[in-house]
Amino acid sequence: MKFTPKSLEGNVNVAETHPLKDLLWMSGGMVLLLGLLVFALGFGADLVASKAPISVESWLGRQVLQKFPGQESTALETRLQSLLAGLPADSPLHQYAFRVFVAKTDEVNAVALPGGNIVVYSGLLKKVESENELAMVLAHELGHFAHRDHLRALGRGLGLAVATGLLFGGDSEASNLVSNTLLTFQAQYSRSQEAAADQYGLDLLAKRYGHAGGATTFFTRLARQAGDKLPYLFASHPHPQSRIDDLNARIKTRHYAVNGVQPLAGDIRP
Amino acid sequence: MEMLLQHLDMVIFLVLLTLGYLAGGRAERLHYQSINSREQELLDMPVVTWDEEFPPEQIRGAALVTGSAVISIDYFKRLMAILRNLFGGRVKAYESLVDRARREAILRMKQSAREQGADMILNMRLETAAIGQSANTKNQIGSVEAIAYGTAIIRRGP
Repeated sequence: MKFTPKSLEGNVNVAETHPLKDLLWMSGGMVLLLGLLVFALGFGADLVASKAPISVESWLGRQVLQKFPGQESTALETRLQSLLAGLPADSPLHQYAFRVFVAKTDEVNAVALPGGNIVVYSGLLKKVESENELAMVLAHELGHFAHRDHLRALGRGLGLAVATGLLFGGDSEASNLVSNTLLTFQAQYSRSQEAAADQYGLDLLAKRYGHAGGATTFFTRLARQAGDKLPYLFASHPHPQSRIDDLNARIKTRHYAVNGVQPLAGDIRP
Repeated sequence: MEMLLQHLDMVIFLVLLTLGYLAGGRAERLHYQSINSREQELLDMPVVTWDEEFPPEQIRGAALVTGSAVISIDYFKRLMAILRNLFGGRVKAYESLVDRARREAILRMKQSAREQGADMILNMRLETAAIGQSANTKNQIGSVEAIAYGTAIIRRGP
């Protein structure tokens, strides 16, 4: 038999679909899947957060608190109590036994942890200039408790980690990517929570002092420092300027007076 | 600018993805061009399967010839494969890699046979191996190796 060399036309071994078309289909499916996931998680976490009894919360609080080493501050706790006195008697916040801790960090922040624990960073205490500003910070954290944001954040974060871990495996690049993307959306969610806590805090501040003085001055200083380039820290919080604008809008609609502030008492600064 | 800094890992990912798509795509196009033209050149080097004793009086010499090629995935192809892991179906992004590795290995084997003055290759075998088994996990580079080997025959002149 004679050997006749012949080349083959086409290639059945390689798919002819354009890779970008393939990518489009799959990433579209992925977005849909993740959308459903986030929706379900958010719904589930919110449901659990609103139903979780305070005893469960206190237990959770003790676990989380170990991650924030800090000293209990009676000076801050008395201020918190006087804010709480302004709340109606049937407010669910009265069920908490609030404790306030001071953590030694330069970060300007405060966190609401499950179980009525508030951690104020010493960096924030250094920036505060009046009693009213301090009360606004504490009232803002109380707003988080009133909206049960501390539990929601925890539940969502946990659910997200578990879900991406299950889908892509614990240590894969894909799972990191997806959780980072979703955390960006979460930050959006958390910004709206911060805004709501600001409004709650403002009302409480006005009840405590009879006027809304000092509500925005703290953010004004932050805004001046922050300038245009936000430090990464504020990604989960709205820009100070937009917080000021929101607060001023509410001060106007509620007709709060803005009077002079009380200077900071000596027991706060170390 | 501030947006970019805040989502630095997202930006890095997109840059790598684009780079993978463009550079990987270009490399693949050029490789296929080279494969096609070399296949035409080496078309007259027959590769056949023979299960009887080859007539000894026709042979002047015989030698083992091998050719192997390693082709790497790129960032884009890896993402496609990760997505495929989720949805199932043909991992189309990897098909061209294996195809290129196989054909390149055969071409190199044929080239080596030609350099030794062989007229044909008997009983070629093809094997593939994966290098970097866990390429879907972090910081791993995945490649496919194909190795082709056979017996080159130098025939006695007519």
